[in-house]
Amino acid sequence: MGLTATLQGFAEKCNQHERLRVMNRDWTRNVRVLAEDVGQDYWIRSVAGELSAGEGELSEDADMEIRADQRVLEAVFSGEMTPTEPYNQGDLMVRGNQDDLFRLDVITLMIWGE
Amino acid sequence: MQARIRGTCQKRMGTMGIDKTVVGISLGSSQRDHEAEIILSGTRVKIRRQGSDGSLARAKELLIDLDGQVDAIGLGGIDRWLVVDGERYAVRDAEMLAAAVKKTPVVDGRGFKEVFEPKVIRQLLAAGQIDSSQRVLMVSALDRFGMADAFYALGFPTIAGDLIFSAGLDLPIVSRRELVELARRLLPEVVKRPFAEFYPVGEAQETVPDQRFQRYFDQADIIAGDFHLIRRYLPPVLAGKIVVTNTTTSKDVENLKQRGVRLLVTTTPILSGRSFGTNVVEAAMVAVLGVGPDEPGWTHAVESFDMAFSQMDLNPA
Repeated sequence: MGLTATLQGFAEKCNQHERLRVMNRDWTRNVRVLAEDVGQDYWIRSVAGELSAGEGELSEDADMEIRADQRVLEAVFSGEMTPTEPYNQGDLMVRGNQDDLFRLDVITLMIWGE
Repeated sequence: MQARIRGTCQKRMGTMGIDKTVVGISLGSSQRDHEAEIILSGTRVKIRRQGSDGSLARAKELLIDLDGQVDAIGLGGIDRWLVVDGERYAVRDAEMLAAAVKKTPVVDGRGFKEVFEPKVIRQLLAAGQIDSSQRVLMVSALDRFGMADAFYALGFPTIAGDLIFSAGLDLPIVSRRELVELARRLLPEVVKRPFAEFYPVGEAQETVPDQRFQRYFDQADIIAGDFHLIRRYLPPVLAGKIVVTNTTTSKDVENLKQRGVRLLVTTTPILSGRSFGTNVVEAAMVAVLGVGPDEPGWTHAVESFDMAFSQMDLNPA
């Protein structure tokens, strides 16, 4: 499965999770996701907690930017790895609010568990 | 105040000399500074609380000044460690403060909370003051895992509001398992961040309550946990509710009474109208007992200690 499908699957899981929908309803963000090793842009958009994702550049300014190799991004957004793990090892860079990274951690935990 | 007070700790206003002196240095507001004298196991202890108005640097200065001058020091408005299901997470800001003290024992109330607060819950249940069908909102459970664990173990339907009230994420933690998982996943990083990002310190303790999350208070029969978090999100009406907390002043008690709270339980005794922070009480116990919370005799010593929590019927049914 490619990263586009992984990100879309992540967005779908979020949208289907009732408690996450409540948690994210005050969360509107444009997230740039950059697979650095292949130089490919992706995006995740949250509009009042309704998530969508796709391939290509964002049409708006990014509130948050996540950069890593494609395999790391696929692992994080498919639940194989927590975001904190590669972040602490320097394999995942996040630009933006640290609260958003915290929220991402909570989202992945709620979707996939430990 | 018309409230009826039961079970307060023994207090003496005599002229005998002071046996021990302890000071609580808090990141909280200096407006809440106070002092009192208590008798613990026959020892007269002078206790004092001093706030640094949210300043870590000021708190550190105060700690350095006190080092070697008093019998024990309490660290308030911050936790030195969060201990969840046996795992201990060191809070970086608090470690920095504690490291400034070289001679005097420094405690944060964790040892008192772990041992004494579950006992309070069991005693309230045994006395019929609470019953296990009542819904509990713990505004924060990660800093009071002993109390939360007691509610879970006794069968109370319990929601932990750590993500809601400390991180602003509207996600109630609905089980012990979920609480422990969140702690394992999040705390290793959270404890490295500035403590003030997750907890009201200094002037933030005096701000007008934020009522975004009122529904969680409405749904609960028992509201438990840190009073500064309760106060920060306090809804206008709490009719018939039971509040289990500490560090309340007489003004806070009046505030809760006006909002309709039926019963206020403070896990630390009320002295001169205030319930002291767990850190100060723990410091007093360390000074008197000569044993610290990480030493083998601590649990037995605390459990056998002659200290009562306080109950105030603010609006009797």
